[in-house]
Amino acid sequence: MCGISGIMHKKSKANGLAPIGRDLVKMLDSLAHRGTDSTGFTVAGEAFAEDLILRIWTDGEDNEEGVLARVSEAIGRRGGVVGTSQAWGGFLRLTVNYEGEVAALAEALLDTDGVAIHSIGRSSETVKDVGTATEMDRTHSVSGIMGTHGIGHVRMATESIVDIGHAHPFWAYPFPDVTVVHNGQLTNYHSMKRKYEDSGHHFQTHNDSELIAVYLADKLAGGDTLDSALHASLSDLDGTFTYLVSTQNGMGYAKDRWSAKPLVLMETDDVVALASEEVALRSVFSDEIDRVEPQENEVKTWSV
Amino acid sequence: MVSLDAAEMTTRELNTRLKELAEAGSEVTVINPRAQHNIAVGILTSCKITIEGSVGYYSASLLDGPEVTINGNAGWALGENLMSGRISLSRSAGASVAASMRGGEVYIGGSAGARAGISMKGGTLLIRGDAGFLAGFMIQKGRIIVCGDVGDAVGDSMYEGTIYVGGSYGSLGNDAKVEEITEDELISVWGHLEENGISEKPRFTKIVSAKRLYHYDSLERLEKVVV
Repeated sequence: MCGISGIMHKKSKANGLAPIGRDLVKMLDSLAHRGTDSTGFTVAGEAFAEDLILRIWTDGEDNEEGVLARVSEAIGRRGGVVGTSQAWGGFLRLTVNYEGEVAALAEALLDTDGVAIHSIGRSSETVKDVGTATEMDRTHSVSGIMGTHGIGHVRMATESIVDIGHAHPFWAYPFPDVTVVHNGQLTNYHSMKRKYEDSGHHFQTHNDSELIAVYLADKLAGGDTLDSALHASLSDLDGTFTYLVSTQNGMGYAKDRWSAKPLVLMETDDVVALASEEVALRSVFSDEIDRVEPQENEVKTWSV
Repeated sequence: MVSLDAAEMTTRELNTRLKELAEAGSEVTVINPRAQHNIAVGILTSCKITIEGSVGYYSASLLDGPEVTINGNAGWALGENLMSGRISLSRSAGASVAASMRGGEVYIGGSAGARAGISMKGGTLLIRGDAGFLAGFMIQKGRIIVCGDVGDAVGDSMYEGTIYVGGSYGSLGNDAKVEEITEDELISVWGHLEENGISEKPRFTKIVSAKRLYHYDSLERLEKVVV
């Protein structure tokens, strides 16, 4: 079991950013019974800026200032300039002025000791940690993050170890702003992972859900739209899944052919909200707004 | 009439109070259910319960006797293992509604998710709207009436029981077949619709087991004694 949730304020790009972080904390808190191992969020849209936003976990090193110095040096070697930087509890958040290929920057960072990349994006950032949504909000002030849309996940581990790196969302290395949260188990993970590794893709974890992120990134890089990439995944991925994907200006879901993992969807002219269970929708929205339950082999996408 | 506020108690406290009130013969209204799981489970006496709002997974499950009215949606497995009584849901149900029900009636005012009536062993499941994939999966007894459309693999691996589909269906499941419906049977199904306030009279398609995969006897333990 795991719990997933997503929300988009469709008009927030024009009318002002919405409290996406706050709503995701409420929704994931109400799904805590589906998993308490770790919690994670991607919030998109706060800064449609020129700079890249980097979220880094220092891989358990207790010398985050030292890691920050090494990270800044690696970025500098690639021609990037660090704007702002924050460090707390082993986590780093940087804004970076960088014109080159994100893949080259990501590679340089991964060659740096004590670096696990949680996300690189121009509009979105990923925050993930062990513990519940409420605990995470205390450590990482997720509630304060405004945006246009976002996705989140509470994890009950089944396929790989419980640590910060194996928490969702998974960033689609090296594709900026693409992250995935997944409820389910993939049964063709190893064969597909080998195929992608052989063609030069990089995996940071042993979690099957990371494959979905890499798969989508590969499809998008190959010219697919988000919608066509999600549709293709229905036949390319084996096993059980309901997953949500967040991109720079879009969000979507795909649900497997067995309809094995739950999802409810609520949509008005202004808002679309998705969650494993209705209890999460009701933590933010009144009973007056009805929900539907997406069925097998279903895909839908939205953009701001 | 007693009113219980689900927002002010744990689910366990709520269910304990509901059982006490049911045994005392009180009618109860539950407010603020907020789509929480396991509301109104394990009540084994006749009583009337109204829930104002959506409920979560396994709500109104393991019941024998109660009449439960829910003004909202339900999550997965509403009314699981209903023995007798009636559950009425005004909006839509999640997957596996009325799983393993053995008697009584379940009415869904909206639509139902995947696997509606999975492994049913008796009673009637009536869905006013549509039903998803694998409706009537492994049904062993009882009837499922869907006024709207049904998804793929309807009646997959069914043993006994009947599935009536008012609209279209995606595909038949393994070992399910369409059987001609008699006028008498159609009138009986329409009668059930009318009792539930549905005036439409769809020409139902009747789906039953083809029994090509059927290697079991279908008698209950007590029925075997009679034979």
